[in-house]
Amino acid sequence: MKIKLAIAGLSVLALALGGCSDDPSGSPSNPPSATLNTNTISILIGSSGQAETDAVKKAAADWSTLSGIPTEVIVASDLNQEAAQGFASGQPADLLYVSTDSLAGWTANGSLEAYGSKLSNLSDFYPGLREAFTIDGTLIAAPKDFSTLALVINTRLWEEAGLSDADYPTTWEQLESVAAKLTTDGRVGLAFGAELQRVGVFLAQNGGSVVANGTATANSSANVAALTYVQNLVSSGSAAFAADIGAGWGGEALGKELAAMVIEGNWITGAMSSDYSDVAYKAVELPAGVQKGTLQFTNAWGLSADGDNKDNAIKLVEFLTSTDQQLAFAKAFGVMPSVISASDGYRAQFPQMSAFLLGADYAQNLPSATGVAATIVDFNSTLGQLKDSDPKALLDAFQTNLEAALG
Amino acid sequence: MRHRRGTATGSAHWIVFALLLAMAVVYVFPFVLQLANSFKTDSEASLAGMSLLPDTWTTAAYRTLFTGSAFPRWFANSVIVAVAVTAGRVLFGSMAGYALARLEFHGRQAIFAFVVGVMAVPGVVLLIPKFLVIRELGLYNSYLGLIVPLLVDASGVFIMKNFFESIPRAVEEAAYVDGASVLRTYWSVVLPMARPALMSVVILSFQGSWNELSHFIVASSDPALVNLTKGVAQLVGGGLGAGNQYPLKLAAATLMTIPMAILFFVFQRRIMNASTGAVKE
Amino acid sequence: MSATNVTNRRRTFRKDAVGWAFVAPCVIILGVFLLIPILMAAWVSVSDWTGRGSPLASGFVGLENYESFLGKGGLPTKDFGLSIRNNAYYFVFVVPLQTVLSLGLAVLVNRKMLRAKAFFKTAFYFPSVTSTVAITTLWTFLFSATGAINAMLEKLSVDGPNWFNDPRGIFHLMLGNPSAPPGLKQSEFLGVSLWDWLSGPSVAMCAFIVMAVFTTSGTFMLLFLAALQTIGEETKEAALVDGANGWQRFWHVTLPMLRPTLFTVITLGTIGTWQVFDQIYVSGHGSPAKTTLTPAFLSYQSAFVDQQWGRGAATSFVLFAIIIVFTILQRMVTGSSDLSKEKRQRKLLRPLRWLKEKQVAS
Repeated sequence: MKIKLAIAGLSVLALALGGCSDDPSGSPSNPPSATLNTNTISILIGSSGQAETDAVKKAAADWSTLSGIPTEVIVASDLNQEAAQGFASGQPADLLYVSTDSLAGWTANGSLEAYGSKLSNLSDFYPGLREAFTIDGTLIAAPKDFSTLALVINTRLWEEAGLSDADYPTTWEQLESVAAKLTTDGRVGLAFGAELQRVGVFLAQNGGSVVANGTATANSSANVAALTYVQNLVSSGSAAFAADIGAGWGGEALGKELAAMVIEGNWITGAMSSDYSDVAYKAVELPAGVQKGTLQFTNAWGLSADGDNKDNAIKLVEFLTSTDQQLAFAKAFGVMPSVISASDGYRAQFPQMSAFLLGADYAQNLPSATGVAATIVDFNSTLGQLKDSDPKALLDAFQTNLEAALG
Repeated sequence: MRHRRGTATGSAHWIVFALLLAMAVVYVFPFVLQLANSFKTDSEASLAGMSLLPDTWTTAAYRTLFTGSAFPRWFANSVIVAVAVTAGRVLFGSMAGYALARLEFHGRQAIFAFVVGVMAVPGVVLLIPKFLVIRELGLYNSYLGLIVPLLVDASGVFIMKNFFESIPRAVEEAAYVDGASVLRTYWSVVLPMARPALMSVVILSFQGSWNELSHFIVASSDPALVNLTKGVAQLVGGGLGAGNQYPLKLAAATLMTIPMAILFFVFQRRIMNASTGAVKE
Repeated sequence: MSATNVTNRRRTFRKDAVGWAFVAPCVIILGVFLLIPILMAAWVSVSDWTGRGSPLASGFVGLENYESFLGKGGLPTKDFGLSIRNNAYYFVFVVPLQTVLSLGLAVLVNRKMLRAKAFFKTAFYFPSVTSTVAITTLWTFLFSATGAINAMLEKLSVDGPNWFNDPRGIFHLMLGNPSAPPGLKQSEFLGVSLWDWLSGPSVAMCAFIVMAVFTTSGTFMLLFLAALQTIGEETKEAALVDGANGWQRFWHVTLPMLRPTLFTVITLGTIGTWQVFDQIYVSGHGSPAKTTLTPAFLSYQSAFVDQQWGRGAATSFVLFAIIIVFTILQRMVTGSSDLSKEKRQRKLLRPLRWLKEKQVAS
């Protein structure tokens, strides 16, 4: 109760301080009202680390100063659970990260409000990213940023193994051989998470995908061959899953030098600079199988239908997806801007991120239809045992589940 | 003959002693390691977890907890909830226990059966149902929602009921003869006599609510209402974003154990009696 | 219609009012937060509530939610099957281990000549007062790939597993982790192949089994100690007369007398082992490869994460049924044939065992 009072107090204070801010009358759907709605806007995020948390908090605070509306950033340890519980309680966070996986379900049960058409900067978002959050022609939520996967290399270890810039692997054979060269006692050449969200790059590079045109294609021969390649890599000992070498994820494996190369997304730069600033690294494009391939991930700013300050929350989203703010996020935790207007600035500021941007040209999205997420979780739960399993059997099981989910 | 027998039991005695000592080390050592590693650096804890003395002593983990996280708030919430729940359980448990043991009224048997029956439902199957009711009553994300559903615990009622049945009626009856009301008798005559049983209830209630997790998970999502168990569980379960950060986790585990440890060592004898008392037939 | 009759009635009424006033807080809170929730959940388990709006306004779907994980054969069935397998092994290992260990500790600590008795009691009981969250945190550290347990094993020249990341079943490992015989691979029950049913607990689950034994043996030791102290003297006399040695005395005299306590401990253990939630929530949410998924956690996850509220509620009712069935089975096996005079009193106090579990579990 005290907390509620305290928040109310803060709101009053903020109102007093921000009373002179300009009247936000840009949006036609929001006729200017005599009093500013100063209900706190809560923002639920699933953070990749302190860098991201701090950046979002700072952005929210900056906007609060501008608008006079208090904001509160909540870091979820399990975003989906906390979001779902919030929706069911009738008191959800006003804004929240929404993955492509959760979008369909939360839209279908009315938890999320479609606000895409109310955005003043609607046309600035990359069309491919808008597509990912569009259901039946309606843009549900604004893409907040995006990421692709690349091969991230510890440059010191690379040189120590006698390798040079000319040796960056561009084929699977080359990847295998440099991974073997980089493997030493207590360190593997290559590490990645035991999940489709990493292993999937090999499927894409072999011309495969998990779902094509709404049909499950998990156990295609291209995928079986790709997963067999991964199995050989792991069995040879020159590659390992992050968990098997005691790392929580690829970034930790690279940072603690448990692995010389990892397959990770551009978010790794945030963690490397905050947690392992003494490790030098370089990101290069992933090698190609029969074709170039990587995966792309994107999240959106979901707006809760039950929120009590929705119009202002949309304004906050516009602020968070403005050019300058997108570049600030890119700088803080390594994401790539979701708006076209920031792309030049991004290229100029982050030339070392070119591998990730290049990947955007050929990156695959993971499927996001309702029910597919659970099948991916299940598939991931079997991937850890890839070494002792039959790749075809794992993919067959995945296929069966996918077919059931896609109905 | 007698002499030989004596040495035989003597050596058996020492074997038992050594065995128990070894077992005691097994039981205590993990906590020693927990404490030691909370003062290590991140990498030393994950690479040399067994060493009891850190190479580099650091209180970084504790500093991070107190300055870089909401740990103090979690701690305060745990105290608030545990104190309120304990007060409620002592009061309501002793009232109900007294009524069930001493007062004659219609429906007493039925109420006893109801308490017994409802309490037979295992806690974990109540997660979803409790959430639904807390939500319907508008108690979600409030201290009331954290506290009220825990205010009554049948073990307290039973301890009190058993206790009241074990003491003679004479004192109360004297009070009634003097014209005291039931409430007055209960408050100024019965309760003071029941101090040992009340202490048992206090300890069990405090321990129970301090260590409770699942109820707090379903009763709120407001970060301002997070308590220690939930906060630490989420910290350990991925709230750190990335990396193992063992010293931080172990420091959190250590700090949340300290109040229970103090309670335990101060009321050692009573705690051990209380926990058998709750089951003893 | 005499005046006394009216006075009597009035007196009875007053007595009733006072009695009800005393139990009212207790009854109201239990009713509102236990009885009503159960009824609501029963409704949700047969409804299509999606987690928004009032559950009371959602539609009736019959037993569909139950069928979704008991009969359909898809992922929900497999998850449920796995959770049952995991928890069954947990139950099968934890209950005997904790019972034997706590009994052993109690018998040793109860020895008359033992020095530092209080110290031992304290040491063995201390893990029981700490929270599951704190202990699980400690466990993830001790059992990490480079953790203390593996460091210790290394000194014994044993190459320790990566505990919480190792989903291999220990029965499979004992056989050298062979590939599954086709016959066992093909036949399925609850979406899980017979071969996988026979896997044994995973290495990761073993770490939880050790943890459960570690945290509950102290409490149960105290129960045994209390019982031993009440029967101590008469036992000794009876046995001395017979001239029995220590082991015979324990087996033929002490153990039978401990039977009621043994019974209590096993019942509490049975109920407790089917309610594994906190440790799974703290560590990994069922990973690796769903081998630490339990029905209690699955129920929570279905509802609060996957928003399948009906299925989640249905799962918790099935779990409830499982607990009841196992408790009854266990009663039949450990037998209550010779409970003559205490029987009625014990029946009345049966709920205490349920209650005690709450402390054991936390």
